Amino acid sequence: MKIKLYCLTSALVGIILLSGCWSNQELPDLALVSAIGIDLEKDGRYTFTVQVINPGNVAGEGMQGTGGSESPPVSTYTESGWNLTEINRKLSKKVSRHIYFAHTNLVVISEKLAQEEGIMPVLDVLERDHEFRSSAQIVISHQSDAEDIMKTLSSIDKVPANKIINTMKSTEKVWGEHVSVSVRELIAKLVSPGEAPVVTTFHTIENQGETLQSIQRTNPDGRLEAAGLAIFKKGKMVDMTTGEISKGIVWLLNKVKNTAVSVQWEGEKHAAVFDLIRQQTKVSADVEKGGTVRMKVNVAAEGNVSEVQHPINLASPQALNKMEQRVEETIKQSIMHAVDKAQELETDILGFGEAVHREDPEKWKKWEDEWEESYFPEVQVDVSADVFIRRTGLRDEPFHRYLTK
Amino acid sequence: MEKAKINAGQLFVLIFLFEMGSALLLSLGIEAKQDAWMAVMAGMFGSLLLFWMYYRLYLFYPDMLPTSYMQDIIGPFLGKIAAYLYILVFMYNAARVLRDFGEMLVIFAYNETPLFIINALLLLLVVYITHKGIEVIARTGEILFVVLYVLAVTGSILILVSGLINLDHLKPVLEGGIGRILKTAGTETLYVPFGEAVVFFMILPYVNRPDKIKPAALSALVLSGINLSITMAVNVAVLGVDLTERSQFPLLNTIQAIQVAEFLERLDVFFMIALIVGGFIKISIYFYAAVIGASDLFRVKEISRLVFPLGLVVLFLSMVIASGYAEHIREGLHFVPLYIHLPFHVILPALLLTGAALKKRHSVNKRN
Repeated sequence: MKIKLYCLTSALVGIILLSGCWSNQELPDLALVSAIGIDLEKDGRYTFTVQVINPGNVAGEGMQGTGGSESPPVSTYTESGWNLTEINRKLSKKVSRHIYFAHTNLVVISEKLAQEEGIMPVLDVLERDHEFRSSAQIVISHQSDAEDIMKTLSSIDKVPANKIINTMKSTEKVWGEHVSVSVRELIAKLVSPGEAPVVTTFHTIENQGETLQSIQRTNPDGRLEAAGLAIFKKGKMVDMTTGEISKGIVWLLNKVKNTAVSVQWEGEKHAAVFDLIRQQTKVSADVEKGGTVRMKVNVAAEGNVSEVQHPINLASPQALNKMEQRVEETIKQSIMHAVDKAQELETDILGFGEAVHREDPEKWKKWEDEWEESYFPEVQVDVSADVFIRRTGLRDEPFHRYLTK
Repeated sequence: MEKAKINAGQLFVLIFLFEMGSALLLSLGIEAKQDAWMAVMAGMFGSLLLFWMYYRLYLFYPDMLPTSYMQDIIGPFLGKIAAYLYILVFMYNAARVLRDFGEMLVIFAYNETPLFIINALLLLLVVYITHKGIEVIARTGEILFVVLYVLAVTGSILILVSGLINLDHLKPVLEGGIGRILKTAGTETLYVPFGEAVVFFMILPYVNRPDKIKPAALSALVLSGINLSITMAVNVAVLGVDLTERSQFPLLNTIQAIQVAEFLERLDVFFMIALIVGGFIKISIYFYAAVIGASDLFRVKEISRLVFPLGLVVLFLSMVIASGYAEHIREGLHFVPLYIHLPFHVILPALLLTGAALKKRHSVNKRN
């Protein structure tokens, strides 16, 4: 009798406890969101676009002979409203499943929103929500709406969000004009008085990349490509840099991994190319007694010569030494361009304020509130660079050393 | 008193898990900003003194529970009141930790599940293990200790490997001076979590080798202090001061930041397990102390007769002590240290110790 009672109780307890979770969500009931885009409308409302993965069409990836499925790998849904939570609920009118944000890797914010209203109001919900991961990357759409970026299909990576993230990460690594920034890092920089964020911008052509036909061409019409770096000041985007200045910023942030630097030689501007293998940039502050701040920037870089267009004798260490100096000059210049730009805009994207904070906490307390307006533009910057050319590839002297004479 | 014995190793494990408990998950000592880790260490050193006090009390009455020897020191009437208050405090603390635990689960994983269900399920387990007695709690602790350590070591390696640690976040060191650290330690970290070890004066009489209590307990406090301090340092180094301050559960954010090789990410389950292990042991010990105290004070022979009613009280207490999470946390930061921790962790034990010492001297004099 007792055994029977035990069996019955344990069975009952089992039924109650093992039957599953309370707020369970089954995979077939979820719409996995890969990216979200936020735009600003004329009347001040937000437009929120979610890019939802169509599981069946992505799963075919890698299988042979199935290329060109009939519907696109992602679908987008757009809704507008005054706040993101409300819009998210409203989106249920259009999506048949529960919109699930735990796999969202990318947040696209339109240039217009970043410039006019600032990004701060929309970031809170991304940080607060328990489903959304703050390790998601963030980008700004340049000369296009975030919605267009959401809609553009890509050819190698089937999911466009992945394409954007991978492009950003790989170009950061091998070229060094862009940085990948996560929501968490962005917020940390926004709240720090001695630091302002930079965010990579992406560009696409409106209404060109939405159909599967568009990616069936070898040269797709609507292309997602990294454009430049958006510079923020007090949470608003104030400018966008490209080229040399962007590179200087990335150098200063110590995020450059590889890049190529042109070397000037005997009057020829692009005579050779220095290929960076590794580098370390150190930024330290020196607060003098009078109150002037001197930033010391030191770049230690190591790399190879990867290409020579001018007959230079690469077998000679003297020539290489000279070349090293030229590279040092170029790097210094590009860093100074970045510093000038930041000081002109009065926004501390280079993190000098934090360096001062670490160096002299007491002075920093006084300066903190008006650092960017009053002190940052006056900061003196000394840049020094140590470049080492270690190797020159499989050849020393170029084959055209006698031909061009 | 229950007829049971635990060994010094088990005491070590229990104190360690108890200290790690919910403290591991909150932003401990963050009022000292980037020096929070030092405030934790300072609190730990202070708590060694407190623990020495509890230990001396135990040495005066090695075979009795505090609820009994209180009556011996300050007389049966006052002693009974003090003992009764201690039982209430332990139950209140058990309810607080239970609420912490439930709120965390609701906020971070089970948004739509009622708090009551989560608390009830955990308390069911606590009631069961308390019913089984201290020996079972201790043995469970030994297993969970290994689990927690494996998690901690794996987690640390992953955080190191994914290159998240930015030591610049910890600078400038000592920005607010030693004063801020001591203030944070004196108002916060000394009491939570280290001073909470006061509950162990209910457990000490069960240890089989009294000579080993001191090394075991002190090393457990030191080790847990070091671990908590490292955790806070890592949290600040990964998240920065601002985010650590604003996070309800900084460790969760730190763990969520882990991304190794594109596939080792979203390791929230690490956090979950640490949370459940810590919370479970902490509630069990508080609850056990309350039950054993009540059985001693009210002379109830079988503790199993007290376990269920007191369990219900703790469960309902955990529901009614605050109407929302913000209220709960604010009470914990401003009310509890002043009105509960200070008197019951510091002042009362100090008075008891003085009383016991005087009484002893008195009786020695009498004999002469």
